[in-house]
Amino acid sequence: MAENAKSNTPAKVIEKELSFGPVHPALIEPYRIRLFVNDEYVEDCEITINMAYRGIEKLFEGLPVDRALLIAEKVCGICSHVHAFNSVRVVEGGLKINVPERANYIRVLTHETQRITSHLILLAHAFEVLGHETFSMRTFLLRETFMDLMGYLGGNRVMASVAVIGGIRPRADLTEPLKRAILDRIDEFEKKYLNFVERVLADPMVMARLTGVGFMTKEEAIKWYATGPTGRGSAWDFDLRRDMKEYKPFDFNIITQDGCDNKARIVVRALEVIESVKIIRQVVKNIPDGPIINNEWCVARMDYTTAYNESYRGELMHSYALDDRGLLRNYKIRTPTITNLAAMEQVCIGDHVTDAIVTIASCDPCLTCCTRAEVVESGKSRSMSELEIVKKFGWRR
Amino acid sequence: MVDYLIFAAGLIASSIIAIGIAISYSLILPGIERKVQARIQQRIGPPILTPGFWTVIKFGYKSKMEPIAQMPKFYKYLVYFGVGFVALLFLFRTPFWWAVLGWGSILGIAGMLKLEEVLYVLMGSQSQSILSTSMPVPDLAKGSKMPCVRREFVEQHSSERALKMMAIGSLPIYLALVVPFVAARSPLISMVVAYQNPSYFFAPWYGLPLPSSPIILSISGFLAAIVYLMGYVMLLNEKPFSILKAKADVIEGGVLEYASKLRGYYYIMRNLLLFTMSSIFVTLFIGIPFDPLMPLAFITNMLLSLILPVSLAILAAFSPILTFRQIYPITVSLSAIGVLAMILTISL
Repeated sequence: MAENAKSNTPAKVIEKELSFGPVHPALIEPYRIRLFVNDEYVEDCEITINMAYRGIEKLFEGLPVDRALLIAEKVCGICSHVHAFNSVRVVEGGLKINVPERANYIRVLTHETQRITSHLILLAHAFEVLGHETFSMRTFLLRETFMDLMGYLGGNRVMASVAVIGGIRPRADLTEPLKRAILDRIDEFEKKYLNFVERVLADPMVMARLTGVGFMTKEEAIKWYATGPTGRGSAWDFDLRRDMKEYKPFDFNIITQDGCDNKARIVVRALEVIESVKIIRQVVKNIPDGPIINNEWCVARMDYTTAYNESYRGELMHSYALDDRGLLRNYKIRTPTITNLAAMEQVCIGDHVTDAIVTIASCDPCLTCCTRAEVVESGKSRSMSELEIVKKFGWRR
Repeated sequence: MVDYLIFAAGLIASSIIAIGIAISYSLILPGIERKVQARIQQRIGPPILTPGFWTVIKFGYKSKMEPIAQMPKFYKYLVYFGVGFVALLFLFRTPFWWAVLGWGSILGIAGMLKLEEVLYVLMGSQSQSILSTSMPVPDLAKGSKMPCVRREFVEQHSSERALKMMAIGSLPIYLALVVPFVAARSPLISMVVAYQNPSYFFAPWYGLPLPSSPIILSISGFLAAIVYLMGYVMLLNEKPFSILKAKADVIEGGVLEYASKLRGYYYIMRNLLLFTMSSIFVTLFIGIPFDPLMPLAFITNMLLSLILPVSLAILAAFSPILTFRQIYPITVSLSAIGVLAMILTISL
């Protein structure tokens, strides 16, 4: 009986396919979204990446470790520091290099400063996709505080280059005037930001667009491994900072929301900004005196070592080995978007087409960072394995 | 016979003057609109003449681009039709046209508005830009979860949205438009003006006839004016009702493929409609018509016509794009207010 019922179930009827990208004003990065829709409602979704393969992992191959780590920072513009930070953590873990406490504080300071810029860029982008230009521009205006702070710290607003093996660059040391500047700027920011967040949350039209849309339960978030604020918006209390030794001296809350919708994912990021400000304040007030770099180390052979970090979008993994001459071998980076992609494809199902783009944006994709190689042959497409790439292009292109 | 010739000469002269003034003035409005939005967004904003006037001039000098459309010639003509329809809509409520075959009536206005709305459906069904289905990416080579599904251009999707907006979204503005005619108990614009501003018909050409009892100051008129404002935003496809040209998915909708001169014409059409609809509002709800042969009257009409574009700019600056989930209930509520205004007009 049950089998009959199953066989009589009508097949899913899809009216049409709508495809967007890789060149599209709502997508800030090159990727293709195929929405299978009935009327205005998304029945299924397919996201294709690999539009901008840069081959960064292959660029690392055979480079001296200290030189190669400068490239790690270039993986992403929005989250440049976390790549540099995590990249040095691999070699520091593998070669047992001690990092001075003061350097750890400054790394955390840069990490949280950039977390705020990243979260605010997501908020601004989400408002832009919602069509709310005023909120988008106000968010960008607020973000300027932390872009400036990045510039004060490293001398560059985007690529601050703070972390180096064994500590931080001398340029990025925290001086007394800089401490005062940071505290003044964040006090001013916090006041404006809290008003802004209250205003956004009280806006009925924006909330109507966000609430109850892009639903993802906690179980689904775990199943698809939607890490970072994307998962925390579904009440998944998972944050790697809790276990990172760099974060032990700081008191902060892990923000979760049980709304499981676009609103929850946006609110998680909005509230995490406040927590990051709290951490920055603790860094500036409690930073210990002492050296900022440990030069007592030498390159040596290192087995495959992996380091995980709570990036702004979720879990970030860097892994590599060093050969006998200290040259890099088999660098692997797993950006949070790789795991969040599955969630992005699933959560927009059932949404209005216009909302589906907001849902995908609310998962904060950063696709250029996670792209791998792809080959299309005889009308068929497939991904290339590392071995194939090496065979085809050699170790050094 | 001589009377007819004099009338025809007057009609042609007044039409040329009216359209000339209207197009020139309408090209300033987007600048004002953008300036208001920019101030709200704590920006300086562009110079007033740039978004309207200089943009159109600039597009006039761009090299010619052939649109990618199913029927490119037809697609190109649609924008010319658009300019024509809006120009006629504008002229129908200038005093010389009030006497021509009943065009100066609710029927003339509603008819032209409907034609203008249909254009978006046709434009959307024609345009086939590279930004969606025909983008050269290895989609088909990679296969698909659903390989046999019809692939649609985003403009075609926008066209379907235009159809929905035509059927549902435009209801409030038509209800609001009817209210002044119900108040005047006549389908003619001349009677609506006479109901509010009898002195207009006796004023000399240099005079400024002010209305004695504008409809907007009555309860029903005020309600209808609010519905008109919202309907105006829906008709112009501006935020929050710009779903048929939502940047997030359908980008610009059916007008995506208009480039160079054609885009210039599209801007003229859009800006003229922006001015025409607000000028109609001043004529019907305040009782000051756009009379090209009465300078003070048309200047007053033009100045009061700023009310709606500025309101539209403020509304757009503070709102996101709404989806049909929100548009349907808003339309139903606005229509209910429109009907209430009509009932109040009849009963009071």
